[in-house]
Amino acid sequence: MGALAEVLARPDVWRGDRCAVAPLPSVPSGFGELDAELPGGGWPRGALTELLLDGAGLGELGLLMPALRALRAEGGWSLVVGAPYPLHAPAWAAAGIDLARMLVVSPAQPRDALWAAEQALASGAPGAVLCWASKADARAVRRLQVAAAAGGAAAFLFRPQSAAREASVAPLRLELSAAPAGRLAISILKRRGPPCVAPLELDLPRPASWREDHEHPVAGAVPAPTAPRSAFRPAWA
Amino acid sequence: MGLAAARAIAPTLSVIARDPAREASALEALACGCGRFTPRLALAPPAALLLEIGGCLRLFGGLDTLLDAVQTDIAAQGYRAQAAVAPTPQGALWLAQAAAGGGVPRCADAAGLAAALDALPLAPLDLPPAAKELLAGFGVRRLGAARRLPQASLAKRIGAAEVLALARAYGEVPDPRRDFVFPERFAQGIELPAPVDNTAALLFAARRLTAALAGWLAARQAGIQSCRLRLEHRDLPPTGIELRFAAITRDGARLERVLRERLERLALVAPVESLHLEVAAVETLPGASAALFDTAGGGAAGMAALVERLRARLGEDFVHGLAGVADHRPECATQHVAQGGAVAVEAAGPRPFWLLPEPEPIGERGGRPWRNGPLRLLAGPERIESGWWDGGESTGDARRDYFVALTPDARWAWVFRELRAPGGWFLHGWFA
Repeated sequence: MGALAEVLARPDVWRGDRCAVAPLPSVPSGFGELDAELPGGGWPRGALTELLLDGAGLGELGLLMPALRALRAEGGWSLVVGAPYPLHAPAWAAAGIDLARMLVVSPAQPRDALWAAEQALASGAPGAVLCWASKADARAVRRLQVAAAAGGAAAFLFRPQSAAREASVAPLRLELSAAPAGRLAISILKRRGPPCVAPLELDLPRPASWREDHEHPVAGAVPAPTAPRSAFRPAWA
Repeated sequence: MGLAAARAIAPTLSVIARDPAREASALEALACGCGRFTPRLALAPPAALLLEIGGCLRLFGGLDTLLDAVQTDIAAQGYRAQAAVAPTPQGALWLAQAAAGGGVPRCADAAGLAAALDALPLAPLDLPPAAKELLAGFGVRRLGAARRLPQASLAKRIGAAEVLALARAYGEVPDPRRDFVFPERFAQGIELPAPVDNTAALLFAARRLTAALAGWLAARQAGIQSCRLRLEHRDLPPTGIELRFAAITRDGARLERVLRERLERLALVAPVESLHLEVAAVETLPGASAALFDTAGGGAAGMAALVERLRARLGEDFVHGLAGVADHRPECATQHVAQGGAVAVEAAGPRPFWLLPEPEPIGERGGRPWRNGPLRLLAGPERIESGWWDGGESTGDARRDYFVALTPDARWAWVFRELRAPGGWFLHGWFA
């Protein structure tokens, strides 16, 4: 019985009815409901987390911001690889990211983005790596997972929602979609533990408070066109 | 045997003339490379290097480790070397010359040295041939026998210099050697034996140069931030490759890695005849002392190495940090810099994480912006008017009312209405 208890206490063995114990300390996600459902109580370090969503603007970065802020306190670097659009620096700084410890890698080819993410994860130097890959196949995902396990960083891979049907070696897979009243719905497709039955709905910090649609538009009438500036002459000219 | 006779026996013999100047410069390059192990070297031309390792045994963790390191370093550069360790330089030189290959003769102290030297045959040593013939005439085959002869009369017969060398080898007389002076500026080149047109072979030759550079930097306690590799072709102007590093470094492995990445991406315009490595400026880089307790790995040094590896492979423009610019116009507020910095200005309203490279025009129906459905405007308007000085180049004068909008599929977007003629609604960013 003693030997069985030892085997069960190992971190790479998890019992089917409980969430696994994470081998490395995880980064708290900042959302209590989500932490309760994640093995280890947060985003796993040294493992790949897949976030599946279509397009942008659902709040996927808002979901990760508390974790990136926690990593800032540790002094780790954040890497953004293969971002879908150019980054707007004031927004990232206002969210609490230290721009002095952030690196943006935007290669022209998608496979270069995967290579860069793999190198960054394998080196163990950054604290978090966010990678966007619309065409990552299973082999590429496995290489990222191996690199993340070697380096010990928190790795986040954003993939299109169509990838939910494929199998993947990432130990944590979340599917993001919009929930009513401006919330974010998260279905945990895969985790080291019992399958998650119902999707979570999180209240993320949003740029404006959500409210019901009104009939009349907020913008108002079109303002009268202003005179072009070149027609202006100062009094002393 | 003359050259004609040799060719008669083996018609396919290939003959290469000896070039003493190139041999000397290769020996100097090797000496520069060995600067990694000890700052005190002496050249013993034509083909020997004397390294004084008494002071650095402890740093390298013992004689065995140091010998292994030296031998792998020299083998990596494509040379074959026979090493020997002895308390005197002349003794070590003779032991290496007479060694039959295989092991490394080692003598720890004077008694061991005397015993080892006594057993050496005279033939492979670098004594003048006349002296060797004379000693053979006396019936002296080994050094020990030569030493037992009366030295004063031996000096009259074979010359005082040789007897002095004998005494120096045994450690009876001090043997000062002129230290090898590491050159002030590093500019070394390798002539390739035949024109090379594939980069893999170039890398092998360039490895000698990077090893020499690393040793030279170690001896001078300096580091470099950039260096230049020049590839010479026969008829075309030379190709230059600039290697830049994120932090000042003198690590030979890092130099080689960055060079390999660059060479793999390089398309040669013509076969390369020679390589030259030049360093423009060096900065002092004293050694770093290790911490007593092992702290977590990585840190700033690991990040710098990663950044320069990414830059070498992807190009410098694609790997950058972010800095803010004090400009109200959103598209001008981000700057790509080599190293990220603080944001200069606090934005008045909410700002999106992603900003589209060009504002995307969207439709309008019934007074509401329309993109696959009516957009719900949740916050705004935020009036941004700026850039009157731009006069039409780049962004120009911006007069816009910005709103936070919710698209029909519940995505948060940043849209604006253009106030200058012809107006219209545009999508500018996404709040991720």
